[in-house]
Amino acid sequence: MSTLPERPPGAKRLGLVIDLDTCVGCHACAVNCKEWNTGGEAGILPDYDKYGPEPDGVWFNRIHSYETEEGGCSRTVNFPRSCLHCEDPLCVTVCPTGASYKRAEDGIVLVDTDKCIGCQLCSWACPYGARELDEKAGVMRKCTLCVDRIYDESVPQEERVPACVATCPSRARHFGDLADPESEVSKLVRERGGADLLPGLGYRPTNKYLPPRRARIPTAPAKPPAPGAKGIGAALLGLLDKALSR
Amino acid sequence: MAATEQSQPRRTVARTTCYMCACRCGIKVHLEDGRLRYIEGNRDHPINRGVLCGKGSAGIMTAISPARLSTPLKRTGARGSGAFEAISWAQAMRIATERLAAIRASDPGRLALFTGRDQSQSLTGHFARMFGTINYAAHGGFCSVNMAAAGLYSVGGAFWEFGEPDWEHARLFLLFGVAEDHDSNPIKLGLARLKQRGAKILSINPVRTGYSAIADEFLAITPGTDGLLVFALIHCLLEAGRIDAEFLIRYTNAHHLVIDAPGEAGHGLIARDAAGRQLCFDRASGSLLEAQASGTDPALLGTFELADGRRARPAFALLAERYADPQYAPEAVAGRCGIEAAAIRRIAAEIAEVAFNQPVVLEQPWTDAAGRRHAVMSGRPVAIHAMRGVSAHSNGFHTCRAIHVLQMLLGAIDTPGSWRYKSPYPKPIPGGPAPGRPRAPGGPLDAPPLGFPRGPEDLLVDEAGEALRLDRAFSWEAPLAIHGLMHMAIARAYEAGPEGIDTLFLFMSNMAWNSAMNPGETTRMLSECDEQGNYRIPFVIVADAFSSETVAYADLVLPDTTYLERYDCISLLDRPIGSAHGPADAIRIPVLRPDRDVRPFQDVLIDLAGRLGLPDFADEQGRPLYSSYAEYMVRHQRRPGIGPLAGFRGEDGRAIGKGAPNPRQLERYVENGSFWRHELPHEQLYFKHANRAYLAGAKAMGLIEDDAQIVLQLYCETLQRFRLAAEGHGAPRPPPRLRERITRFFDPLPIWYVPLEEAMTDREAYPLHAITQRPMAMYHSWGSHNAWLRQILPENRLYLHRDLAARLGIGDEDWVWVRSRSASLRCRARTMTGVNRDTVWTWNAIGKRAGAWALSHDAPEFRRGFLLNHVISEYLPKEGGAAPQSNSDPVTGQAAWFDLTVCLEPCAPGTPDETSPRWGTNPLRVRQAAENDR
Amino acid sequence: MKPAASVLLLTTSTGFGFGLLAWLGAYAALGLLPRAPVLVAAGIVIALIFTSTGLIASMFHLERKERAWRAFTQWRSSWLSREGVAAVLTYPVAIAFGVAFWRGGPPLATRLLGAATLLASLGTVYCTAMIYASLKPIRQWHNAHTAPDYLLYAVFSGAVLFATLRTAALGEPGAMASAAAAAAAAAALLAKRAYWRHIDAQAPLATLAAAIGLPQGIEARPLDAPHFSENYILRQMGFAVARRHAAKLRSLALLIGFALPLALSVLGALAPAPMLATTLALACAALGLALERWLFFAEATHVSALYYGRRI
Repeated sequence: MSTLPERPPGAKRLGLVIDLDTCVGCHACAVNCKEWNTGGEAGILPDYDKYGPEPDGVWFNRIHSYETEEGGCSRTVNFPRSCLHCEDPLCVTVCPTGASYKRAEDGIVLVDTDKCIGCQLCSWACPYGARELDEKAGVMRKCTLCVDRIYDESVPQEERVPACVATCPSRARHFGDLADPESEVSKLVRERGGADLLPGLGYRPTNKYLPPRRARIPTAPAKPPAPGAKGIGAALLGLLDKALSR
Repeated sequence: MAATEQSQPRRTVARTTCYMCACRCGIKVHLEDGRLRYIEGNRDHPINRGVLCGKGSAGIMTAISPARLSTPLKRTGARGSGAFEAISWAQAMRIATERLAAIRASDPGRLALFTGRDQSQSLTGHFARMFGTINYAAHGGFCSVNMAAAGLYSVGGAFWEFGEPDWEHARLFLLFGVAEDHDSNPIKLGLARLKQRGAKILSINPVRTGYSAIADEFLAITPGTDGLLVFALIHCLLEAGRIDAEFLIRYTNAHHLVIDAPGEAGHGLIARDAAGRQLCFDRASGSLLEAQASGTDPALLGTFELADGRRARPAFALLAERYADPQYAPEAVAGRCGIEAAAIRRIAAEIAEVAFNQPVVLEQPWTDAAGRRHAVMSGRPVAIHAMRGVSAHSNGFHTCRAIHVLQMLLGAIDTPGSWRYKSPYPKPIPGGPAPGRPRAPGGPLDAPPLGFPRGPEDLLVDEAGEALRLDRAFSWEAPLAIHGLMHMAIARAYEAGPEGIDTLFLFMSNMAWNSAMNPGETTRMLSECDEQGNYRIPFVIVADAFSSETVAYADLVLPDTTYLERYDCISLLDRPIGSAHGPADAIRIPVLRPDRDVRPFQDVLIDLAGRLGLPDFADEQGRPLYSSYAEYMVRHQRRPGIGPLAGFRGEDGRAIGKGAPNPRQLERYVENGSFWRHELPHEQLYFKHANRAYLAGAKAMGLIEDDAQIVLQLYCETLQRFRLAAEGHGAPRPPPRLRERITRFFDPLPIWYVPLEEAMTDREAYPLHAITQRPMAMYHSWGSHNAWLRQILPENRLYLHRDLAARLGIGDEDWVWVRSRSASLRCRARTMTGVNRDTVWTWNAIGKRAGAWALSHDAPEFRRGFLLNHVISEYLPKEGGAAPQSNSDPVTGQAAWFDLTVCLEPCAPGTPDETSPRWGTNPLRVRQAAENDR
Repeated sequence: MKPAASVLLLTTSTGFGFGLLAWLGAYAALGLLPRAPVLVAAGIVIALIFTSTGLIASMFHLERKERAWRAFTQWRSSWLSREGVAAVLTYPVAIAFGVAFWRGGPPLATRLLGAATLLASLGTVYCTAMIYASLKPIRQWHNAHTAPDYLLYAVFSGAVLFATLRTAALGEPGAMASAAAAAAAAAALLAKRAYWRHIDAQAPLATLAAAIGLPQGIEARPLDAPHFSENYILRQMGFAVARRHAAKLRSLALLIGFALPLALSVLGALAPAPMLATTLALACAALGLALERWLFFAEATHVSALYYGRRI
């Protein structure tokens, strides 16, 4: 149903916490996602013009690179973008068919591709660009949080995480229950100042992004060299004057 | 969900090794009814611990790429025309065998076997050795031989893949010139661990991509000046007296006395006693003593008199004197490096702070090589990794050595928190036998063709001092070219003509395109005929799985399988997957059955070797010994008990490293996830170069042959031997034209010089440095035919600093001309701030030659993708009347890709929106042979 | 936003149809309709042809037309679903109203049916408008102008159409219809100008830094997009029209879509060739509204295009 479900007390809010401090922009998550999902329950993620002039396709996850400036200091921020499984997902409520829905038990936003008519209104309703049209099947596709993997009991327990999380080489992606304040992901969000994307729009995204940070090593201010110092310095001579033992 | 219930497919999971790049991650390949469904990282695998990069995850699309070759091919049109005839394997093998047998019967050296990133060099090298040709090399010469050679001659290990930072204990990590390359997933995992632990990551790189993007500090260094920066750091540490003197005297040759007798034959060599043992001056006894003796108080400074009256000084004294010189003060190098002096001083202070005020002490007793028991392992948590940015310059060998010297001064080699050896390293210095040469005419070489010269006597030169090898490796032009000079192979084969080289046999190497400097010229050389229509390079055999640009220039094409369709061996004899925690190796297994008429190249090579009756591949009656690579992997013994695979040896499969062949070895590997790993005991985890238990254990496993302490070479005496020859001492001596060059570049202490090409170029005309970076989602040319990866990078841009762009009037997506001293190319620009202001760069190997890789004729790879290679020359400018030198490091022959300097200008309006130069061939046109004698 | 022909046709054509129905219903409810059953019957048929054309056009926007029936199920949350339901409900009401009028049914019932037709028609138009007005990522749509403007354009286009029909049936548009068309044209013109002033003065919905979760004070610039080829998001949400180009089109839309119909409506009441004037007014309104609607889409920007460095 396109109306949002009553969330039972204690319901999970499964989602991702993405660490922009460690994301190297390698596209591993995007490609592994495509690979898992194209043969999974989400159906084929089509590619168009595979070997031609305009190679394109459906991806649940796309990796951008940005440069940022803050007080004269510049850095590169790699930014993976996928469905945020919002608490107030307009993409669900605008759906005229009920194909888009949010699960009561864990908050995952899904598309029932058997019901979808491909009107694409949901993609207009999503400010994050997370929904893409499958131009071959004529239905919308989006991140499923690997719902066919995270609950699959034939998969070893520690691998029951979304494919993007399992594959991320720089461990920039974390998966868990954001409704549980004691979960690892909730702790990360608290400790690292995890942020919502576009909070002003009021979608209340589940996924959170951890901002880049900067480690420093405090040292005494570097001493300017003594004027006229030349050759091997007194400090070194002093050091080597002491007896050594081989 | 959309899934409709159907009969459940049969699901199986095979564990094998990835090959979408050279990283060698463990993968789990999921199959449904025998078809590829999903590839993921193997959580149990030591390399990737379950993670897998974008390339590895796209393996499914490579397995179905339309660029896969499907049958052996014989050229029918002109070289490069793409016209071929399909032939049977029987025909193909007959052609190859007849050709090679004839060469072997006359002069085996006329076969040049050059292979790419194939990870089977212990096989291909052994084939060359048994065939009797010295003309063999793999891709290391244009990749990272500077790192390998500098490391192996300095510390008995190397950055590259032979070492790793101590991710668990490092507090400061310096990353020099590392883009998204070796070891891709282990480095990403490691960086994440450092981040988690709050360690500081400092990236020194002209370009901020990938790893540099997440560094805590980024220094946009000017290309080719890393050595100067390191000297400035050393200068500051010396100035502040912040070095680990104890480490130096215990583990390096810093205290060894260097003979100071200019002009004499022994000048610059280490003083030795009558028994040949190196000497030091013991301050406690006031006398000269054996340098490696324990319990002494060796002098690191001063001048001492030897028994023969000559003077000698500790190596460290020479070093301190050199780098304390004001020319290496931060203020003196800042302008050149593009880094502020204050930043250099601060970083030196941070290094000193971490190394000396925050040592890592592990409560782990161990025994050193002298037999002393230590209660703890104490280390300096400054870890360094360096790669191609240092390597691909013609001053890269010395720059890399400078970094190792910095590590030694800090006591940051294989100590807790620092850089560590990966098993099977460290190895004695230098790392192996001298390069092989034919024992008898037509016979096998006496050692592998790629080896480790210890002095001029090990060079492969004729009486005039000129090169014997085609690529001039191990000659005075590149004495320590331990990986060969692959980038010169085609040019030198062309120079040599049919008398020099008959057959160029290339495996898995795109030498006509992105692996060539100057591809236009390279393909011209491959296609040039004499008046009779005979090619100057008479015969070219290419073995590859895909229709690369090079395939079009082959006379005979041997189609290989993909990595999911064959056995492979990631061997300790080659480039193993060991870690600081112990040795490891791995295999690939066939997961899919080929749906084409292709054969694994290794099987083909072993078949060929058998047909040729090569020793070690055929018995004395000339009968082939092995029917397949899988059989060779199990049964071949390089030395008694030592084979391609180190795990599960011995009759019962319980021997490690050394043991009799085990017929069930491959089954044991498969059961174990297609890898084997030996965990070193904790006592052996650090100080491996001087750890008695480690050295003994490594010897027992066959990793090293001598368990003596490996003394780190702060001072590289080997280099001095070459220099003495150039000064007229000993034999052989370099030809006169190279003497000055050898004297200059074979300095036993690291030096810095302006990269050769840069120094010979008019910098006013070509003021900008131009380099490439490896994209994380594409491994060289391997991804362009992959339907997923090419969506990420089907074309590339030339990136430049926004300030530079503004100055030149260039905007995002504008078309620009890039001109070097040798050629021009047209490409599209993109601006950024994370780049050195005087540097432009692009992604490597994205541009393709029309017709290749089974892409459509209007693919962006052809129309807008470009190679910087087009404006790089394999030769330096001519000097006087002499033939030009190769564009390489003068010590190792490493291809100096990054010495390029260019100028930039916006294209005039109306210039076509296409890259230039553009060449195109037809796609491969294969005629099916009427008769097939298969 | 990409101006798809199907959606342009949907919104403009249903505007004419439901607008005409609204006028017919309103006049009937107020007892102001001339006793000309042909006019009403023809009017309703023509109105339904317009609405049906629009609704059928909208089907072409659907990728899976065979499942279109599902779109009626989610009226509790979805304006698109409500639009469908309202449109479908309007048909029987309008037909009943037409039949009642044709048959000369009881005046009260006819009046009530007329009022119901008015409400159902405007209700449908309101639902259509709310599809756009409810989309928070598109500032040019998610504002207080969209719904009243859509209603106004429907009323305007219906008035012009009614005047034409009345002229065809009775030889002259009549003062009331002409006045109504002219007044509606004037109001629509002012509304459109107010709308453009509003969206031109709007601040972008967000900065790129906020879109990627960075705190205020950080400036972000795109370096590399995920893929080189244009993808679905860029084709749909990345559509942009050059400012200069848009300014010209705006003037043209105002002139053709509103100013000319206004003048022609006045002319139709006064001049000797009312049929020509009202028909021209109708043609101008149709062309101008199509242009106006094209701009409504083309000038709309979607927050998600921020990720690709597009101006929003």
